[in-house]
Amino acid sequence: MTDTRLRNSVMLAVAVILAAIYLFPLYWMYVTSLKTNSSIFAVPPEFLPGAPQWETYSLIWGESNIVRYLANSLFIAFGVTLVTAVVGSGAAYVLARYRNIWIDVALFMVLMLQVLPPSLMVTPIFVAFTSLGILDYPRIGTILAISAKTMPFFIILCRAAFMTIPRELEEAALVDGNSRIGAFMMVVLPLARNGILVAALLIFMQGFGEYVYSASLIADNRLQPASIGMTNYLQPNVVTWNAIMAFAATYVTPILAAFVILQRNIVSGLTSGALK
Amino acid sequence: MQRIAHTIRDGVGFDVLLIAFALFYLFAFAGLPILYNVILSFQQVDMFSLGSLFHEITGWENYVAVFNDPLASRVFWNTIVFTAASVFFQFSIGFALALYFNQRFPGASWIRGLFLAGWVMPGLVVGVLWNWLLSGDFGVINWVLMSMGFIDEPIFWRSDTDYSLIAVILANVWYGVPFNMILLAVGLAAIPDDLYEAASLDGATTWQKFWTITLPMMRSTIGAVIALGIIFTLQQFDLFAAVTSGGPAGSSMVAQYWSWELSFRQFDFGRGAVIAVMMIVVVLGVAAIYVRSTRQETRL
Repeated sequence: MTDTRLRNSVMLAVAVILAAIYLFPLYWMYVTSLKTNSSIFAVPPEFLPGAPQWETYSLIWGESNIVRYLANSLFIAFGVTLVTAVVGSGAAYVLARYRNIWIDVALFMVLMLQVLPPSLMVTPIFVAFTSLGILDYPRIGTILAISAKTMPFFIILCRAAFMTIPRELEEAALVDGNSRIGAFMMVVLPLARNGILVAALLIFMQGFGEYVYSASLIADNRLQPASIGMTNYLQPNVVTWNAIMAFAATYVTPILAAFVILQRNIVSGLTSGALK
Repeated sequence: MQRIAHTIRDGVGFDVLLIAFALFYLFAFAGLPILYNVILSFQQVDMFSLGSLFHEITGWENYVAVFNDPLASRVFWNTIVFTAASVFFQFSIGFALALYFNQRFPGASWIRGLFLAGWVMPGLVVGVLWNWLLSGDFGVINWVLMSMGFIDEPIFWRSDTDYSLIAVILANVWYGVPFNMILLAVGLAAIPDDLYEAASLDGATTWQKFWTITLPMMRSTIGAVIALGIIFTLQQFDLFAAVTSGGPAGSSMVAQYWSWELSFRQFDFGRGAVIAVMMIVVVLGVAAIYVRSTRQETRL
C-alpha cells in the first residue's frame, strides 16, 4: 500500500518537473515582461521577478497601437470563423451521412487541401487577388484566403461530431413534416453543437494568431493584426525585450485562458479529428 | 424547376447543395491558386506587371534561374535537415512523454494536457519567445548551458551560420512535441490491457513488452504521426520569420521560406511560384500516402 503511494508521489513529482521544463518559455515571457529595462540583462538571469513593473504594460497600451492591432486580429479571427463554419458545417454533415465512392473522393480532396503550406499558396493568391481587385479590401481578402486553409480541418473535426448523431432522430423529424433544412437546423445542428463549437474555437485561435497571409496581403499598417504588430519590434539589436514580452503576453493570454478553461474539450476534439 | 426546388427541400438535392457550396469555395480559393501557381511559374511577374492576370510567358526560364541560384543546394539540404531533425526529435520526445504519462498515477492526464499550451500558441509568438531564449549575450539558454559546463562561451544561435538552423529546429521541436505526444497517447490508450497482463504471466520484461506489444500495436499510429509531422514541418513558416528570417546569408533558409522571400521581398513572383510548385508536389505526395494508409485502416 505505502509502496504504491510512494511510487505515485515520485511519478507525480517527475511529471510536474517535466511540465515545468516544457512550460518554462511561457513563464519566461511573463517574468521578462515584468522586469525593468536593466534587469532583463542581468547575469545571472533573475528567475524570480523583483518588483513587478506594470508600467511596461501601460506603456504598451499607450504607445504601440496594440489596441488597433488586437482589434484587427479579432476582426480577422471572427471573419475566418464565420466563413469557415457557415461553409464548412454543411459539408461536414453530408460527408458524415453518406458512405459511397463520391463521398470518399470528396473526403480525399478535403484531406489533401488541408496540407497545403500557406507560405507557398500565398504567391498565386496575392497575384490573383491583386489583379482581380480583391486586395482593395485587404482584410476581407485575407479572411477568404485563411478560410480556405482552415476549412478542411474544420470539416474533418465536425464530421466526427456529426457521425455520433443517430440518423433515426433526423428521420423522425422528417416524418413529422419538417423539410430537410428544417430537420438540419432544428435537430442535427443542436445535437452536434458541442463538437462544432470546439472546432470553431480552434479555428478562431488559428485566425487570431495567423501570420503568413496577413503579412503578405495587408500592406496598410492600420489594418494589420497583432502578429505583424509584434514583428515591428523585432528590429536588429533589439533591447526592449520586456516591452516585446509584454506585447506577447497581452496577445496570447486570452488564448491560454480559453485553452485552460476548455482543455478537456480541445484535447478530445483534436484527437478525434486527427486520427480518423 | 419545381422538381429541383422539391429535391432541395425534401430530398438529396439538399445534401448536394451543401457539399457543392463547400467544394466550390475550396476550389476557388485553394484549387484554382494551385493551378494558377503552375502558370505563374512559367511567366515573368514583377511589381510592374502585377495588375494583369496573365503575364509574359518565358518558358522554363524561372526554373533554370532557381536551379542555378547559388542558394539552391543550400536550401535543398536545409529543408531536408530541418524536416528530418524536427520530426525525429518531436516524435522521440513526444513518444517518451506519452509512454511516461500512460503509466497510471494521480494527475497524469491533467498534467499531460498542460503540454498542449505550447500547441495553441501562435507560431509567430513562439518564434519571438525562442528568439529571446536563444539570445546570444543575455539568453537564458546560453546561461544554463554555460553554468552547467556544456559550453565555455555563449553561442550566437541566431547570427552564427553554424547554429541558425539549429535555433529554428529547437523552437520547432518545442512547438511540435505536444501534438505528437497527444496523438501517440491516444494510440497507447487503445492497446488492450489484457495483452500486457498475458505477457506478464508469461514472465515478459518491460522492455520485451515494449518491443513485442507496444511497438507492433502502435504501427499505424506511428506512421500517421510521422506523416503528419512531416506535413506540418513543411508548412512551418512563422518560426523562420520570427527567429532568423532565413539568415544569416541563407544559412537557415528552407524552401517554404525561400519561396515567400523571392515573391514578397525580391518581388520575383515567377521564381517564388517555381519553388511553390515543387514543394506542393512533395507535400501532396506525402499527404496522399498518409490519407491512403489511414483510410484503409478505418475501412475495416
